[in-house]
Amino acid sequence: MIQSNTLDRASCDRASGGEANLVEAKLPRRDWILLPMLSLLTVCLLAGLTEFTARRIFTSVDTLGEQCMVFNDPATGARGIPNSSCKIKTPEGELTELQFNSCGHRTGMECGPKPPDTYRIVMMGSSYALGLWVPREKTYAALLPTELSRRTGRNIELYNESMSHQFPEIIAAHFNDALKAKPDMVLWTVTAQDMQSGIGVPAPYVARRLSLLERGWNRIKVAFAGKSLVDSISEIFRGSRTATLLGHFLYKSQSQYIKSSIMDPDKVWYLRDPPNADWAKRIHDFDISVAKIAMQAKDADVPLVVVLLPNHVQTDMVSMGQWPAGFNPYELDEALRRIITSHGGTYIDILPDIRHTPSLENGYFAFEGHPDERGHAIFAELLAKELTSGAVPALSITNRAQIP
Amino acid sequence: MDTASLQFVLFGLVVAIVSNVSNSRVWRSGTLFFASIVFLGLLAHNPMVFLPLACFLLVGYGGLAMIRRGWPSSPVLGILAVILTYVWLKKYTFLPEHIFLHSPYFTLGLSYIFFRVLHLLIEAGDGSEEMHIGLGAYLLYTLNFTTLVSGPIQRYDQFSRDQFAEEPIALGPRVIGLQVERIVRGFFKVNVLGLLLHAVQEDALVELFQPLPLSTKMFSAFRLAGVYPFFLYANFSGYIDIVIALARLMRVRLPENFDRPFAASSFLDFWNRWHITLSVWLKTYVYNPLLLVLMRRISSPKIQPYLGVFCFFVTFFLVGVWHGRTSEFVVFGLLQGGGVAINKLWQLGLTGTLGRKAYKALASNPIYIGFGRGLTFSWFAFTLFWFWANWKQIDQVFTAVGATQWLTVWLAIWLCATLSLAAWEWIRAVSLSFKTTEGPVLTNRYTRVVYTSALGLATLVMVLMLNQSTPDIVYKAF
Repeated sequence: MIQSNTLDRASCDRASGGEANLVEAKLPRRDWILLPMLSLLTVCLLAGLTEFTARRIFTSVDTLGEQCMVFNDPATGARGIPNSSCKIKTPEGELTELQFNSCGHRTGMECGPKPPDTYRIVMMGSSYALGLWVPREKTYAALLPTELSRRTGRNIELYNESMSHQFPEIIAAHFNDALKAKPDMVLWTVTAQDMQSGIGVPAPYVARRLSLLERGWNRIKVAFAGKSLVDSISEIFRGSRTATLLGHFLYKSQSQYIKSSIMDPDKVWYLRDPPNADWAKRIHDFDISVAKIAMQAKDADVPLVVVLLPNHVQTDMVSMGQWPAGFNPYELDEALRRIITSHGGTYIDILPDIRHTPSLENGYFAFEGHPDERGHAIFAELLAKELTSGAVPALSITNRAQIP
Repeated sequence: MDTASLQFVLFGLVVAIVSNVSNSRVWRSGTLFFASIVFLGLLAHNPMVFLPLACFLLVGYGGLAMIRRGWPSSPVLGILAVILTYVWLKKYTFLPEHIFLHSPYFTLGLSYIFFRVLHLLIEAGDGSEEMHIGLGAYLLYTLNFTTLVSGPIQRYDQFSRDQFAEEPIALGPRVIGLQVERIVRGFFKVNVLGLLLHAVQEDALVELFQPLPLSTKMFSAFRLAGVYPFFLYANFSGYIDIVIALARLMRVRLPENFDRPFAASSFLDFWNRWHITLSVWLKTYVYNPLLLVLMRRISSPKIQPYLGVFCFFVTFFLVGVWHGRTSEFVVFGLLQGGGVAINKLWQLGLTGTLGRKAYKALASNPIYIGFGRGLTFSWFAFTLFWFWANWKQIDQVFTAVGATQWLTVWLAIWLCATLSLAAWEWIRAVSLSFKTTEGPVLTNRYTRVVYTSALGLATLVMVLMLNQSTPDIVYKAF
């Protein structure tokens, strides 16, 4: 009776999981030690090998804080050290040189008076405009004057005064410096990340002065400080190069990037529809900065042209033509237009063009988020198109005669 | 609580632990019942939304009670009442809108409860004493949280055999290990593989409508059509893996629902391997009785083989229609029914032309099998457009590139599926050929521990990655 019962169970087990032969057999004693050890070894080896491989593939170099830039100057905020150069590399990019001229600007020319018969654009902005992680000659700051000159038939130069962490309130405080370059036009390329509220001067980046062990220990301390275990594990993982490796491939998917981006809705405040309190505060602060900048530009009789450059998630939403409920990639664009035009500035809009521009969504470092060489080239093309389409009369292709 | 989420798995594990505190069937059944009610409560917080489901269950139980009392025509009336209530609650679009309930109510799992209730009614109507069950057993069987949302469709006799056994089936370390492995595998399929494949499909769909070169669009069409079956498999079979393992830890064996479906060399074979419990249910309660009735009425030996073709068509048409309530699913049903019917006709035609022996030889030819496998996959992928898309999307997708391009895409899918699935089968066979005295190396417990640990780590890492927002560029090192 017992035997027949066992056989019946065995045949049933085969139908539900193929475990029949194993049901009654005893596990050898050594396996109680061996199997957990094997599991632990597998996990450690796999995790270690993945991190090691990721670090070999996605290397990074950053001597910026020591050689090129001052981040926490109370007078100017972040600034380039005059006549300095350094090598930087984001894990997803190539080794790139950052070179600053005698005025501390990353631009292909010395600071000084503009040559005769030249239309000078001074560009303001933060890390996008600086061309972070991208060789200077491939940034939109470098490509745009060439494209504008080609389109208008005139000699147009662009002096790039952009600097990382150059948020609107800092630009407003130092706008005089831009006017000293005697521009015919100031072009301010804004990104959603620039619109910080009360961020002040960023803390200096000092982690690289620490040894590997100290850095690791610091990371663990920060990760576990007042957080849940899950959040802490997540924080540690986020800092690993394995996360960079996975993110690099995972975030190439537009739909996945959107999903991941909106996971923390507060971080994508600029996409919120309807806007929330944080949105209103940032827009209010931006309005104040724009008022100061526009007044100085008006006093100097220099046209102020502003454009919102979409970040990765905005680009994905616009190019896909669909986005989750509660979000809208055009919301910030509209708000900026209202603010800029209300202060007498000119606002140019490149977002609608992105819907018809193939592959801009691939123009960003997938994990890091800044535009790469392809992104810069597309931005240069879109900016040139909009600047010469009539929004800026002096650069309008149909009004060539008006160019000074 | 999302089904197949970490919370669901943890919930199931806690229930399994509590269930194993005692071998008493009262304890185990009480635990399962309580857990099922809690599970429903976690899915919807307002008790009022369960009223229609409660009414549906009551109609079913009323039918069973009538049959038990021997009321005339009660099986037919009970079955009809259940079908009509189901169609009404599911809001099939061929019915007028105004007859539906317009307040929100809970229908998750109703389709599977429907099959379980019908099964009880049919078997009871056929005189099976085993189906004369009390209200407690009825609710336990129909609301069992491990099979509530997406099956598998378990027969009552299978359920009662394990659930109400005096001595529950054995649960030792090996079985527990196997179930843990299965949970990890299922979780990986649903929450990692499924999500990634879904992202690929979504991106491909978007790319079809973007201003891209024709060749890029054709590649998008290829991915759109080719990836969805794998996504569906990962999602559905992963969930089934989890619930089968959880039920086994509660000492109940659920039937298998998948048996390597993409290894099928014909569409008929495919439906023996995909959603097995659904096709078995329909073969039992639709195909067999229908064929029997027709064969009794039509005795011509020339026509009889084609009766099977007709019955296959009806059975798998119903498989398709059951999946949804709109006209898209009618087409989905026609394509499923059409697929198996044409497959059967092809077999009959070849057997008639070549003779039984030559056909058997052809059917066992590896090249024939390979191309058949590729064609089966391609046909299934094609039919799935009516599963996931509405008419507007279907129109947009099929007009995004021209007819010639689509034909090229389908030929490419057929060829790629043939080659890649054949390669997969070959790799699998070679891997399983390395054996020790205990069996294949690939399936021994040491390999399984390594594989499960690696899969567990990969799942953890991917879940962490998929559940964290993208990095904020401003606050990074620079």
